[in-house]
Amino acid sequence: MSHSVTIEFDGSSHSVPEGITVIQAMWHLGRPMIHGVGCLGGVCGACTITMRSSSQTESQTALACQTMVEDSMALTFLPPDASKKVMTPLSADVADEKKMIHFYPETRRCVACQACTTICPQGIDVMEGVRAAINGEISAVAEKFTSCVMCGLCSMVCDARIRPHRVGIYARRLSVAAHPGSADQLFTRIDEINTGKYTEEWERVMSS
Amino acid sequence: MDKIEESKKRVQALRASRKDIKWPLLSEEEKHHLVHKYHPDYKKEAYGKIRIGPNQGEETVREVVKLLEGESCISSESISLTPQRQVDVLIIGGGGAGATAALSVKESGATVLVATKLRLGDSNTVMAEGGMQVAVSPEDSPIQHFMDSLRGGHMENDRTLLKTLVESGPSIAKWLLDIGVLFDREEDGNLSLRAGGGSSQARLLRCKDYTGLELMRVLKDAVLDEDIEILEFSPVVELLTDGEGNCSGAILKNLDNNKYTVVQAKTVILSTGGMGRLHIQGFPTSNHYGATADGLPLAYRAGAALTLQDTFQYHPTGAVYPEAMSGILVTEAIRSVGAQLVNGNGERFINEMETRDAVASAVIRECQEGRGVETPSGRRGVWLDMPLVDVLNGEGILKDRFPNMDRQYSRYKIDISKDPVLVYPTLHYQNGGIKINADGESTLKGLFVAGEASGGIHGRNRLMGNSLLDIIVYGKRAGRAASLRASETKFRELTLRHLEEYQSAQKEAGVVPQLVSPILFPDYVNKD
Ligand SMILES: Cc1cc2nc3c(=O)[nH]c(=O)nc-3n(C[C@H](O)[C@H](O)[C@H](O)COP(=O)(O)OP(=O)(O)OC[C@H]3O[C@@H](n4cnc5c(N)ncnc54)[C@H](O)[C@@H]3O)c2cc1C
Ligand code: SF4
Ligand code: SF4
Ligand code: FES
Repeated sequence: MSHSVTIEFDGSSHSVPEGITVIQAMWHLGRPMIHGVGCLGGVCGACTITMRSSSQTESQTALACQTMVEDSMALTFLPPDASKKVMTPLSADVADEKKMIHFYPETRRCVACQACTTICPQGIDVMEGVRAAINGEISAVAEKFTSCVMCGLCSMVCDARIRPHRVGIYARRLSVAAHPGSADQLFTRIDEINTGKYTEEWERVMSS
Repeated sequence: MDKIEESKKRVQALRASRKDIKWPLLSEEEKHHLVHKYHPDYKKEAYGKIRIGPNQGEETVREVVKLLEGESCISSESISLTPQRQVDVLIIGGGGAGATAALSVKESGATVLVATKLRLGDSNTVMAEGGMQVAVSPEDSPIQHFMDSLRGGHMENDRTLLKTLVESGPSIAKWLLDIGVLFDREEDGNLSLRAGGGSSQARLLRCKDYTGLELMRVLKDAVLDEDIEILEFSPVVELLTDGEGNCSGAILKNLDNNKYTVVQAKTVILSTGGMGRLHIQGFPTSNHYGATADGLPLAYRAGAALTLQDTFQYHPTGAVYPEAMSGILVTEAIRSVGAQLVNGNGERFINEMETRDAVASAVIRECQEGRGVETPSGRRGVWLDMPLVDVLNGEGILKDRFPNMDRQYSRYKIDISKDPVLVYPTLHYQNGGIKINADGESTLKGLFVAGEASGGIHGRNRLMGNSLLDIIVYGKRAGRAASLRASETKFRELTLRHLEEYQSAQKEAGVVPQLVSPILFPDYVNKD
């Protein structure tokens, strides 16, 4: 790779090859990177950064393993998710919309400032998810957080100390219990196995 | 670059003419021939003999031989084996198998500690996209699932392990629903099923193309709900034995201060996952940062036997362009809804639903014989024509079903609904591993193994979707069996006698360790 670009972090400029990711650039610069790397595939949320290119006035967040270095990009690594989880035991009787707020009552304090939506590196409309939670729409919340990588940035920036991603994952778990349909084919199959429907065939297969 | 554009134009121009053609499946004989000629598993030069230990005389790739023959960072002189921690069951590795095992141990009432290399959930599990195989549909049965897996595994699967896997599938799926895993559903409430390569029936449960993320998020949340103690950034660097063939604990290394912690445990569950980051035979990989096969040298020098340690899965469709995405997986599920593989001339060359070893071999053949496409950085590949998915299924389907793939490519300004992408096999999965029985116990007593680190279930080639099932089924079984054993056992002596014996075997065989193993991380750091 012949061309190089200059990136800025830790208060100084560094020259790195073009076409590589921010994480690969750190390796290139001799930094081992243990905290701040997990999957290298854009799904674990360990590698969040803020970055600003020279043409932008505002910085944006990104996943370092999914971001190519650009000339005069300024970047900072962000800390991993440190938000506290509330114990949310799942049982059939909690699968209603009130329970979503029950464990995370501060959710109601949302002042609709959009900070969470703005910061989400996955492009999730986090605030809409929070609004849906306040309105008790479990499946709408669940849908919103499908691609959440649990990086925790939304919770880090919320002035009202709401933990949107925690509410999101809880809503997703709840929504399974609250699902209106029943997975009958699955339950039939379990019965068939338990009542020995396949026993004879197994004997044949295993002895062949 | 112009050549690439030209080739891409051909792919697009010929799309309509090939879209409805059903490519014939290979006969068993043709497949055998193709795989033996082109698959990396059959590349003799890449293999070496294991000279010491339980599998002495057998072969595996040189990268793994080196790990097995490596030396420990621990020696009897350098460490006191007085335990700093005592626990009934120690779980090593916090991916899907480890998290499931932890829940299972907790449920049984034993005390449990999870030690993991990065954070809980930073794993191969979180990266899985395509889905998990369970025989659910009325047309399907556990027996068909078994037969498909056996055929896929070249008939070398451990049949007892495989039977247990497929038979437990449905009840495991129910357990996952119970803990709140949001699988895609049909309108009537039934689980939505999709076809996978090498499978005679549609039986992939999934959550869009975020199946692993969904599984791992929920498992992690459930582990936190159970208040299970987790030590993060604390990889295990050596197992401890009582010198009489029982595993009795392990030594963890805190990555932040390099201090060791000696843990005494009645039983140990090893769930350290796969090996992609060894870059076997120079292949790029789809695996997470910590996939360095740590479990293999740890278990092996403590006395546990391996099985099928010579076979690896090279996923046929790893990204080769842009360079920054190299090795990243393009899920097989995209092929199961119609995306076609096309060579540089715009021609198809294989039925996309053959087993992975056959498809990967065919891609390698196309490239070796000059029908591939070269990227600016010198990698080779063939086209995966994803826009066809919308042509066949309706506009918007591709992005709706594969939001993760869309997001990854769009970060590099590639629109997968408009342009085909270049792919080449990527090192993906360790088919074999540490030998276990149906309780997940290895040949070293008290050492249980679950997930990708174990071997036998999948034979010589794992079918798509069988690993996610494997980690939950055997995570649970190992958890249960390890707890039960712990309830009948006292703490055993902590020694490094296995290491001393291993070292003298090394000396006798004239083996000079070339590295310290486990390696924990790949060495990507520039030393200049
Ligand atoms: C990109 C990708 C897509 C995939 N898609 C599918 C799919 O669609 N369907 C399917 O069935 N399978 C799929 N697989 C395979 C499947 O995801 C894995 O095989 C499976 O999740 C492995 O689970 P595990 O718990 O055994 O290992 P992992 O999930 O990898 O967990 C192992 C854990 O152990 C930790 N660890 C490693 N070494 C040490 C040590 N020395 N000490 C302590 N901790 C350690 C690791 O950091 C990690 O957290 C995919 C794999 C990849 C990489
Ligand atoms: S919703 Fe929050 S935790 Fe999830 S990806 Fe977005 S910012 Fe990260
Ligand atoms: S940051 Fe907090 S207060 Fe602001 S919109 Fe998001 S949840 Fe509401
Ligand atoms: S390392 Fe996992 S998202 Fe970047």
